[in-house]
Amino acid sequence: MMYRYSIRKCIYSILFCLGLVACASAQEFRFTTTVSNNTVTQDEPFQIQFMLENGVNVASFTPPSFKDFEVLQGPSQMQGQSIFNGKRSEYIALSYLLQPKHVGSFTIAGAQARVNGNIVKSNPVLIEVRKGNAQPQQQQSPSPSAGFPPHRGQSGGEDLPEGFLKKGEDINEKLKKNIFLKVDVDKTNLYEGEQLTATYKLYTRLPTNSSVTKVPAFKGFSAKDIELPNPPQATEERINGIPYKVFTIRKTLLFPLQSGTLELDPVEVDNQVRLVKLVSKKGGNRPKDPFEDFFNDPAFKDPFFDDFFNRPETEYQDVPYKIQSAPIKINVKPVPVEDRPVSYNGAVGKFNMTAVIDKNKLTTDDALTLKVTVSGQGNVNLLNSPKIEVPTGFDKYDPKVTDNIEKNSNPLSGSRTFEYVLMPQEAGDHTIPAVEFSYFDPVANSYKTLRSQPFPVHIEQGKHIKQDKQDFSAGKNELVRNSTGIPDWTRNHSWFLLSPWFYILLLLPVLIAAGLIFYKRRKDYNTTNAAMLKHRYANKVALKRLELAARYLKEGKDKAFYEETSRAVWGYLSSKLKIPMADLSKQLVQDKLSARSINGSNTHDLFNLIDNCEVALYAPGQDNRKMQGTYEQAVTIITNLEGALKN
Amino acid sequence: MRNYPHTKSFFLAIAWLLTAIVSQAQTTQSSPQQRFEQANQLFSQSKYTEAAKTYQQLLDEGHTQKELYFNAGNAWYKAGKNGQAIYNYEKALQLSPNDAAVKHNLAIANQKVNGFVEELPLVFFQQWWLQLQHLHKANGWAIGTVLFWWLLIAGILLNTYVPGWKNKFLRWGNYALGALFALYLLMAVDTYLTSNNHQSGIVMNSNIKAKTSPDENSRDAFEVGEGMKVHITDATADFCKIELADGKNGWISCAYIKRL
Repeated sequence: MMYRYSIRKCIYSILFCLGLVACASAQEFRFTTTVSNNTVTQDEPFQIQFMLENGVNVASFTPPSFKDFEVLQGPSQMQGQSIFNGKRSEYIALSYLLQPKHVGSFTIAGAQARVNGNIVKSNPVLIEVRKGNAQPQQQQSPSPSAGFPPHRGQSGGEDLPEGFLKKGEDINEKLKKNIFLKVDVDKTNLYEGEQLTATYKLYTRLPTNSSVTKVPAFKGFSAKDIELPNPPQATEERINGIPYKVFTIRKTLLFPLQSGTLELDPVEVDNQVRLVKLVSKKGGNRPKDPFEDFFNDPAFKDPFFDDFFNRPETEYQDVPYKIQSAPIKINVKPVPVEDRPVSYNGAVGKFNMTAVIDKNKLTTDDALTLKVTVSGQGNVNLLNSPKIEVPTGFDKYDPKVTDNIEKNSNPLSGSRTFEYVLMPQEAGDHTIPAVEFSYFDPVANSYKTLRSQPFPVHIEQGKHIKQDKQDFSAGKNELVRNSTGIPDWTRNHSWFLLSPWFYILLLLPVLIAAGLIFYKRRKDYNTTNAAMLKHRYANKVALKRLELAARYLKEGKDKAFYEETSRAVWGYLSSKLKIPMADLSKQLVQDKLSARSINGSNTHDLFNLIDNCEVALYAPGQDNRKMQGTYEQAVTIITNLEGALKN
Repeated sequence: MRNYPHTKSFFLAIAWLLTAIVSQAQTTQSSPQQRFEQANQLFSQSKYTEAAKTYQQLLDEGHTQKELYFNAGNAWYKAGKNGQAIYNYEKALQLSPNDAAVKHNLAIANQKVNGFVEELPLVFFQQWWLQLQHLHKANGWAIGTVLFWWLLIAGILLNTYVPGWKNKFLRWGNYALGALFALYLLMAVDTYLTSNNHQSGIVMNSNIKAKTSPDENSRDAFEVGEGMKVHITDATADFCKIELADGKNGWISCAYIKRL
């Protein structure tokens, strides 16, 4: 201890000299007492520090007596100087780690120091000691305020007293209370396509090393992130009076693409919270320290070093802690159906539109560009191309879309330009109808329609340069030229198949053929019929002849009588037996009759009669009586033959 | 004489009216060939809509020449009326189904049809049938029918009644004539029926929703684009049931279809 005090004196003298040097600049003198915690439990250590700033000629520095407290560590002395805004200040601090002995309220008197010959006192502090947890814990040796690990990335506040893990404190409870995520949305009930701003924030009071492990996917939304400063900057926010450091993890402009209840996915953050645990010196297990080996070197095995650097008797504990934000439900309404203009195609916000054409006089070889620019606030990045009613005679191509969106604008604003290339195909005066663009204004809750002027265009016949060019590439998509021949200009033909002439002409040969057949039939019939009649009337003819013969008999002309009778008989035979007159002979007649099985008396009588007639013809001078007999015989024979032949 | 300017204008109006009527009469009187050439002229000046209208006038007057349909199709195509273009090409193709130029231009026009489905190519015997159908003009078959009928009857008469012609060669000739007569009659009837068959048509409006039933409020089945060739399988007073080449069925208003 003596040794230490001599060293201290030495330091004091150095300080004194420094003070002499520095005394020229009169600085504000302060002498304060600070405690880490005014209310402590009985077994909780706390730190008390006496700070003397800008003291000149510090001669003595006497701490008060800590009769109600046990000095766990100390005194430890710090000194230094700082130059701030060109002003130099120096300080001497003396700190102790104390643990209360009893429960109650205690006042620790201020420390005394002699500065520049005067005795000064620091402010007294009131400590309230409560009954602590019975949970026995390892005695901890607190460390002065230094010694928090450097942290990278988005991490918690520095030197926050919450960094200490107090005795008997539940780690999870502490983490839960001091680190959490929050999602801010500016509205939860909105129209499809309307903008929604979501901000994911990390609130912390602890030093942590955090990384985002799961970013929200924003299903059903079109998302546009706002760029955040890198490295992230903390802001301070008070919740229920407690200050938190707030880091913005993600800020996104969202445009719902569908109606219904959509959910914003949670964000997940992995934290490595570094908590400080106080470790008791007496416990003998000194904290593992990166400098331990170094200080274990015998050269440093020195109480002075130990004391001078005042290595804190602490232990760090890295606690992994995973947190998730609560999912948020967003209710998306569809845009109203009534009064929806025809040209509406999804724009929500507030827009302006301009439409221009680059020329209004051109040839069929040129191209016309119609430029439609929609600018304003809203879902600019989702605008669909307005429908252009192109008159016939123009080839329209899909529009070229260029965006000019203001960076990090909220609400999203900017412009989108649609460039339609129109290829005139037809010469003449044409009018491109007005471009119409409609959007839904969620603020006014109504549709608005913007309309441009119609564009008159005069087009002249070009020189078909394009076509000549295209001819090189096989002309697969070129029309075959018009045919310019001279077609046969007959009108729409009537169907010959339906005209009566078709059927008349079909019927005509049939009729002619029928006529011919009928005629032929008739002729044949007639020829066969004549013979039949002869046969039928042979009897009558014969009887007529016999009548004539009977007259000759009365008149006594015997020659004529026999002639007539013979003719009657032969004629009858000829007709009845169908033998031509020239072929008649007795033999033939006999054959024919026997063929018809007429024999006997008839045939005999017949031939008798024929013989009589012939004899009488060639030997005249017959008497009248014989002539009468011949006549009667002839009549009887013909009558008999008639009867026989009929069967 | 205060009225003078009025009377003058009145006479002018009369004169103008007369000239208009006369010129109208002249245009109607000018021969189809002249108007055809005039339309071709308009076409080569890139005035496609006017050219198409002139062709259309000729068609409306009852001229049914393949060249006319073809040029009208070209003009409508150039004027951007794809439905009309395809209609005219199809008509030209009906008149001469193997015309390479018409086929080529129809294929180009069909490229612009939304959702165009190519029809299956004809099987060889369908090709033959088509070629046979176009062996003669429509009335050629009917005339042939009459001709062969006369020859057949004459042959039969000769064979049966004239003793000198009674031989088996003539008899076989008669059989052949009979077969030819039957064929020509069949083809005459067939060509008549096919050319009066209006069971297919071209859709003339774009973006039409075909419905599942003949009712404006029924569910949409699919969309048909302008220029699509459809087969009409059924029809009510307002709605036609259409079938696409790929077998899709739906009902659309008959007003959208121009029957071939």
